[in-house]
Amino acid sequence: MSAIPAIELIDVGKHYGAVSVLSGINLSIAEGEFMALLGPSGCGKSTLLKLIAGLEELSEGEIYVGGRLANYLKPSDRDVAMVFQNYALYPHMTVRENIGFPLKMSGLAKDAVRGKVEDAASFLQLGAQLDRFPDELSGGQRQRVALGRAVVRQPLAFLMDEPLSNLDALLRVEMRTELVRLHKRVGRTTIYVTHDQVEAMTMANRIVLMHKGVIQQVGTPAEVYSRPANTFVATFVGSPTMNLFKGRIESGGNGRKFVGPFELPLNGMGTKLADGPATLGIRPEKVQIAGADTSHALTGTVELVERVGADSFIVAQLGGGTSVNARVDAATEIKEGDLVAITLPAGALCLFDAEGIAVEEGT
Amino acid sequence: MAVETAARLPPAIAADHARARRARRRRNELLRHLALAAITFVLVAPFYYVFLASLKNATEIFSYPPKLLPFPPYLGNYEKLLFHTGFLRWMFNTLFVAGSVTTLKIFLDSMAGYALAKVDMTGKKVVFMAMLILLMVPIGALIVPLWSLMSSIGLIDTYAALILPPLANPLGAILMRQFILGLPKDLDNAARLDGLSEFGIYWRIVLPLIKPGLVVLAVIIFTDQFMSFIWPLIATTSDDLQVLTVGVAALRAHGGANYGLWSASAVMSLIPVGVFFFVLQRQFLARSLAGALKQ
Repeated sequence: MSAIPAIELIDVGKHYGAVSVLSGINLSIAEGEFMALLGPSGCGKSTLLKLIAGLEELSEGEIYVGGRLANYLKPSDRDVAMVFQNYALYPHMTVRENIGFPLKMSGLAKDAVRGKVEDAASFLQLGAQLDRFPDELSGGQRQRVALGRAVVRQPLAFLMDEPLSNLDALLRVEMRTELVRLHKRVGRTTIYVTHDQVEAMTMANRIVLMHKGVIQQVGTPAEVYSRPANTFVATFVGSPTMNLFKGRIESGGNGRKFVGPFELPLNGMGTKLADGPATLGIRPEKVQIAGADTSHALTGTVELVERVGADSFIVAQLGGGTSVNARVDAATEIKEGDLVAITLPAGALCLFDAEGIAVEEGT
Repeated sequence: MAVETAARLPPAIAADHARARRARRRRNELLRHLALAAITFVLVAPFYYVFLASLKNATEIFSYPPKLLPFPPYLGNYEKLLFHTGFLRWMFNTLFVAGSVTTLKIFLDSMAGYALAKVDMTGKKVVFMAMLILLMVPIGALIVPLWSLMSSIGLIDTYAALILPPLANPLGAILMRQFILGLPKDLDNAARLDGLSEFGIYWRIVLPLIKPGLVVLAVIIFTDQFMSFIWPLIATTSDDLQVLTVGVAALRAHGGANYGLWSASAVMSLIPVGVFFFVLQRQFLARSLAGALKQ
C-alpha cells in the first residue's frame, strides 16, 4: 500500500449562493480502502462524491486524487469511475457497447476493447447478455453492466452512489456480497455512498458519517457503533437506536453521579466533564434485564415486547415519561406489564456533554 | 362477489345471463364501429372526391349522378399538370426548401435545446423567456420588417430568402429543450466521466435518445414549410423560385376554372407529405429510454 492517499480532501466546501451544502470536509482515503459515506438524505454525501468525480464545481478546498491536485481536472482525467444510483446505462447501446464505451473514448484499439469487455463480462457473468440492450436485462444484470463499465477502465478509485438502493431486498443482499467480492478482487479504492447503515457496516473498512454537510465521525464500523462521536451518530447508527437520557452531572458526598430520569453513580466515568448538563447513552443490547440486586439496577414496567426471531425488543417505562429500549434473547421470558429490574452496565455507557459531543466512550 | 352470485344461480338462468351479456357486448361493439365508420367517412370523403375529380374530364366532373368509380380514368389532368405547367419545378423548389429548413432546423434546434436544458450559462432563463414571448408574435406582424431586412441584404428572390427566416422560429428549440430535460442528468455525467466533450454528449448520447422528438419536430417543420404560402409569395418574384403553394394558387389565377387540373395538383401535392409521414412513422418505434434507469 502506497503512503500517498488515493484520495485526499482538504477543507472542501460546496455552497450554492448563500446555501452551504458541504463545509470543512477533511478526509484521507488510503489506496485499496473501502470507504462508506453514510448519512441521511440531503446530508451532502452524493454532492461530495460528485465533487471528487469532478461533476460538481468545488467552492473551496483542495481535492487530490492519486497525489495529483484534481481541482481543475476534467472528470475523465481524474482516473475515477462512477457507478450511479440510476444505472445511467446508454439505452441505445448494447451491453458490449456500454461496457466498452469508456475504452473506445480513450482511443484504445478495437481488438483490445473487445478483449477487455469480454473479460469484464465473463467476470460479472454477463457473457450471454453482451448483445442485449439495457431494457432487455433484469435489475441485477443492469447493475452488473454499470459495474462492468466502471471496472473495465481499471481506475484508481471507484465512486459508487447508492448503487443498490432500488434493488429488492434479496437482490440487494446478493449484490452487496458481489460488490465486496469485486472490491477484494480488483483491490481498488472504493467510495460508497449509502443511507443504509447495514450496507455501510457490512461492506466498508471505514465509515464517514455525515450530517448537514459536515463530517460527524470517521472510523471503522465497530468504532462508529460502539464509540459514537456525538448523539447524532449514536442515534443514526444502530437499530433500535441508542437509548439517550438527558440529565446533569453532579458532584456529591458519594462521588459524581448522573442525575436525570434516574440517578446513576459515574464510578470514574466522565472525569473530563464538569458538572452540568449531560446526556447518558447505552445501546439496547447492552441493557440487562436482571435481578434487582445488581448494581445500577432500575425498575421499569414492560410496555411492549417485539419478537423478531432470535431476539426480542423490549420497551420498558421507567416512570416520568422516560422509557428504555432493550434487546434481549428471545428465550427471555418477559411479557407486557411485567415489572422488571434493569441494569445499565458501567462499561457500556456513553456520556455526552451539553452539546451532544462524546466525552467518555463505551466499549 | 359477482362471480360467487353467478355460481349459485341455476344453470339455465346463468346461461340466459351469459347470452344477454354477449348480446350487449356485440351491440356496443357495433355502435362503436358505426361511429368510427362515420368519422372515417367524414375524413376520407373530401380526399376521395378530389381524387375522383382529378380522374375526370371537365364534363364528367359536373355530370349527375356523379360516377363514384370513373372507368376508364381520364389522365389528361395529370398530363397537363406535369408537362404543361411549372408543377415539377414548384415541387422541386418546395422539397428543396422544406428539406433544407427541416435538416438545418433539426440540427440547430436540438443544439439550442441541449444548451437550454443542460448547459449552465448566465442569462439562460432570460433567453428562454424571450423565445417564449417570440412565439406569441403573429407572422403577419413580422412580414414587413422581414421583407425589409431580406431586401436590404439583397436576398429577396433567392433560395436563401425562403430558407433563412424560418430557421429563427423558436418553437423547435423550445420543444427540444422539453425533450432533453426529460433525460436523466446521470446519463450526461456518465458520458462526461467516459471522456465525452459537451458536443460529444449532445451528438453521441442525447441525439439518439431524442429520436422520437426529432421525428415529431421534423414532421412539424416539414409540413409547415410545405404549406407555407404568404412568405414565399412575398419573398420570391421569379417563376423559377415559386413553391407549390404559390404555383398552384397561380394556376387558378391564370388557368381559368379547371377543377380537374386543380384536383390533380392537390393529389400530386399530397404525395411527398404522405411519403414523408410513411417513412418517419417507422422512426417513432426507435428505442426509447426504457432500460436506462432503474424501474
